[in-house]
Amino acid sequence: MLYRRNCCGEEVEKALLLDKGQILINPVEPQQKPKTLTPYFLIEFEKAVVVPPKAKKRLYLKFPIEVGVFVTGQDDFNVLDIFTVQNQKFTLYGDVREGAICEHWKSPVSQTVPPVDTLREGVLDLYINNLTSRWIEATKVVMNAYGMKIYYSPTMVSMRATMKINTPVVAEVDFSDSPMYTGMTKAVELYTARKIKIAATKYIMEWGL
Amino acid sequence: MNLDIIVYGNVTLFDLILVIMIFIIAFIIGKIISINLRRALKEKVSKEHQRSIGKVVYIVLIIIAFMAVLPILGVDPSGIVIAAGFLGLVIGLASQSILGNLIAGLFLVVERPMKVGDQVEVEGVTGYVEDVRIMSTVIRTYEGVFVRIPNETIFTNKIANLVAHPARRVEWVVGIRYRDDADRAVKFIKQVILEHQFTLVNPKPEVFVKELADSSVDIMVRVWLPSTEWYPVRQELLWRSLHHSFQEAKE
Repeated sequence: MLYRRNCCGEEVEKALLLDKGQILINPVEPQQKPKTLTPYFLIEFEKAVVVPPKAKKRLYLKFPIEVGVFVTGQDDFNVLDIFTVQNQKFTLYGDVREGAICEHWKSPVSQTVPPVDTLREGVLDLYINNLTSRWIEATKVVMNAYGMKIYYSPTMVSMRATMKINTPVVAEVDFSDSPMYTGMTKAVELYTARKIKIAATKYIMEWGL
Repeated sequence: MNLDIIVYGNVTLFDLILVIMIFIIAFIIGKIISINLRRALKEKVSKEHQRSIGKVVYIVLIIIAFMAVLPILGVDPSGIVIAAGFLGLVIGLASQSILGNLIAGLFLVVERPMKVGDQVEVEGVTGYVEDVRIMSTVIRTYEGVFVRIPNETIFTNKIANLVAHPARRVEWVVGIRYRDDADRAVKFIKQVILEHQFTLVNPKPEVFVKELADSSVDIMVRVWLPSTEWYPVRQELLWRSLHHSFQEAKE
């Protein structure tokens, strides 16, 4: 059996030496391309959002889709290929000395589910919980890809996350392991498939919002 | 039980039991310190070095305990101390550099100016840190050459760790002719930077005319990159920005 992919400026060809098994294609954590440099993912808001004191607000952001191709069999997964049609960049979150390199994506902010091209973008359902008694202006959210829980259906790829604002400059971001809509399928997590030990799934934004 | 029984000289049974107790306590304390030290160094040094450092500390403790029990056993330690001091002086003089490297190695382990895998520049040698040993540090240069540098040399010289921080700035100058369009050159260099996937969005890149030199208009380009990727990306950007700016400025 031959696996061949020719898109996104790359050509990949692999011979699969398997008698039986299946090929599984699903969206994966968007931090593999162009190179796995960091587990952190930063979404910059196109417009800053202002959150009232002690308020709980829901907003929707877009994130880039990366597609993982897995070969499955004998209760095991192996990552065959990962690709994306999006052009992702990197950014620095925080200080040059102690900050973190993050994959970067700029997204419009919406209070309703935005329309998306399923092959290019997914929807992040972000629940903002302002625990402070001050008005907060947020311009970004930083997430840990180790904690991402991606669900997909033929019409949408989605993730759900919570951003707890603890102080005007510190927030805690974590993912919910639940789909946006019932009937969505949970994507195979890359780190589970690669059997990588995960130390932490949350991200503490301590360099400003 | 009568503990005042004389065993030999002035040494009583009590003294002997006391000596045994001191040794047992020294062994226990030595083991505890050794185990905790290995745990503390787990992330900092290799397993082999953890074991060596643990053993050295353990042996030093046992020697201290031995020196402490000598007066109890009726042995005057002053002679041994003098002999040991003299021996130490001779060994110290003979192995000054070895001791220097050993101590520098311990300081490097504690201070950690670099770790295995980092890209560093020491004494004119640039490359990847392969191992930080007790006596020396091994660097693999970009050409693939194995270089062993004594720790004393590393400790007493300037160490430039090229990847200690997550991001670093690289800069270069592109010179264009006076008759070329500098605005277009700047615009296209910015475009090249923007399109490259590894150039950081934040801190923002800077492209500006730096100097009106004798025979060229010099455009300064400053770009922030992930530290681990700086070298190949810089080379690529350098070529692309030079190529594009000349092409565009000419048109």
